[in-house]
Amino acid sequence: MSDQLSRFPYPFNSDTYRYSNNSVLLDPPIAIEVTPEYLEEMTLKRSLLANHPNRCYQSLPHTIPAQWEIASLVLHHLHETYPEDFSLTKEGNSWTFSNHKLNETQQFVFGDVSTLPWEPLDFVGRHVQEDLILMGQRDGDLFLDAGQLCFPANWSLEFNLGMNFVEIHSPIPGFANGNLDEKIRNFIMKLEVGQPWVRRNWSLNAGKRLDASLETFHQWGQMRKQVTAENAGETVYLRVEVQKLFRLPRSHAVLFTIHSYLITLHELAQNRAYLEQLYHVLVELPAFIAEYKGMKLYKQQVIQYLEYELQKERG
Amino acid sequence: MQPKIHVFVKQIIQETPSVKRFVLVSKEGADLPAFSAGSHVTTFLNTAAGTLERHYSLVQAPAITDHYEIAVQLHAQSQGGSAYWHHQVSEGTELFISYPKNHFSLSFRAKHHVFYAAGIGITPFLSMMAELVAQGRSFELHYAAKSREMCAFYETLQKTYRDSCHLYLSADPDSSRMRPDGMRQQRIGTHVYFCGPETMVNQFQEAARSYGYPQQSIHFELFAPPAPMLREPFLVELWQSKRTISVGSDQSLLAALLAAGIKSPYSCRVGRCGTCAVEVLSGEVAHYDSVLSEKERAAQDVMMTCVSRAVHNKLVLSL
Repeated sequence: MSDQLSRFPYPFNSDTYRYSNNSVLLDPPIAIEVTPEYLEEMTLKRSLLANHPNRCYQSLPHTIPAQWEIASLVLHHLHETYPEDFSLTKEGNSWTFSNHKLNETQQFVFGDVSTLPWEPLDFVGRHVQEDLILMGQRDGDLFLDAGQLCFPANWSLEFNLGMNFVEIHSPIPGFANGNLDEKIRNFIMKLEVGQPWVRRNWSLNAGKRLDASLETFHQWGQMRKQVTAENAGETVYLRVEVQKLFRLPRSHAVLFTIHSYLITLHELAQNRAYLEQLYHVLVELPAFIAEYKGMKLYKQQVIQYLEYELQKERG
Repeated sequence: MQPKIHVFVKQIIQETPSVKRFVLVSKEGADLPAFSAGSHVTTFLNTAAGTLERHYSLVQAPAITDHYEIAVQLHAQSQGGSAYWHHQVSEGTELFISYPKNHFSLSFRAKHHVFYAAGIGITPFLSMMAELVAQGRSFELHYAAKSREMCAFYETLQKTYRDSCHLYLSADPDSSRMRPDGMRQQRIGTHVYFCGPETMVNQFQEAARSYGYPQQSIHFELFAPPAPMLREPFLVELWQSKRTISVGSDQSLLAALLAAGIKSPYSCRVGRCGTCAVEVLSGEVAHYDSVLSEKERAAQDVMMTCVSRAVHNKLVLSL
């Protein structure tokens, strides 16, 4: 198995897929993962932030204290998990963070936004592959209060800013069946300090594109029309988001991190069990989910490709 | 199951003849986790009768993290918790506590906050008032105690919140009674908060509703010790699979289902995510999850197999 495939966060544990809260306790409780794609993805992230700041960063003014909590959490996790690549030294409120991978050092006064070149959330987001979303828990509801989002899977941060959880998820067909939207919101509202959670979400991507923002759909959406059974192995990617949820103790807000992974179907098919299971999942997948996940135009081509691979391996 | 913090009692302060304040410090010498206004911790008390779980509000300002402070009133009919704190704990006693949890947070949108406390019900409001002062927001406190001597945190309240604090002393004939009708005079946008005995909380809630307060503007907290968990073995009849499975006393229903080859869905295994919900056709369920609402629990038609069990010896599930 290739290094990329053995590291890949494979999302399925059954031959059928439905929307659910497939969360488990996160162990070890670390928000950040640095992968061999770090430099490549940071270059892409920085360029998106420079060229499309409103698309990639939004915040409401009351979020600054919670942003500092996120900054502290992320910098500590980087330093404690990858001490050779990231260092953090503190003298009282004077903090120095060094990113040895990017050769950057930032000194700042913790709690004083004027000592950073960006807001705290926007600053720490520039050092991690994860997208970072801040959900405020206020008056019995959850709101998208701030976020740095460079690698969205077909949604818009600028459009969703300030919406509550149910409003944000209302475009998902069938998601409110059995009040699943409210149940997941209630689950998140009961998150506790010291007990973060993780789940994996998935979709298919036509083309290698981490930045699948709603604002650029006209650019990447066209790729869906070019998928054939012959080229699906190389042009279609399984996209998995590893999503983590942390309760922020001081503000009682929630940090939602999204680390997006892409792998070609050809690469994935090197694992026979994955190949078989993905085939069964796609064949059984209800049309309303396939459509929402953006694969309606090329699902049949992908299934044909997987069938071909399965037969090839059977000899 | 939940992560715990090892602390020791650094100092005990006798606040009133029946209330002691305990200063808790991390055993490892590290700072304790920050917390939000209105938070409490669960304390795990190792008594002769087993581990007792008791919840106490953190009473210091939320910005302070080098120690926690809780205040415990000795109850005449103590079920073990307050008697343990008052009679067994001394300076130096070590124990485990939970991370801070908050089920009683301040409203973000309130224009004005009005707190009603009876007796030891004052505790959650202490961190809330400190937070509101720090944020420059407007509030007032109404606080009923038996007498000045029995009034916990009297000095602090007089010193720090004199202008926002109204005291009602029930044993003092010259003092007025704390009554709900003051809520009538508040402006639109006011949120009200109650903490005290159940009768007091119910009386103030009903009054607030009758004055036209929206439900979202009414907040209250009641601490009840958790019911001990049933561990008896039981049987489940599976209607679709046409099988009957027995669940051992040291086994979850989910584990028994999976061991029997039933493809029952699950994810977190700790009663929180809701994935393992199954339909209950008959039998009475002892719910131990934190997913279902009170109404859903009472309906007795769905259960979380990873933690919940049968009250009596048998359940019928649709599986």
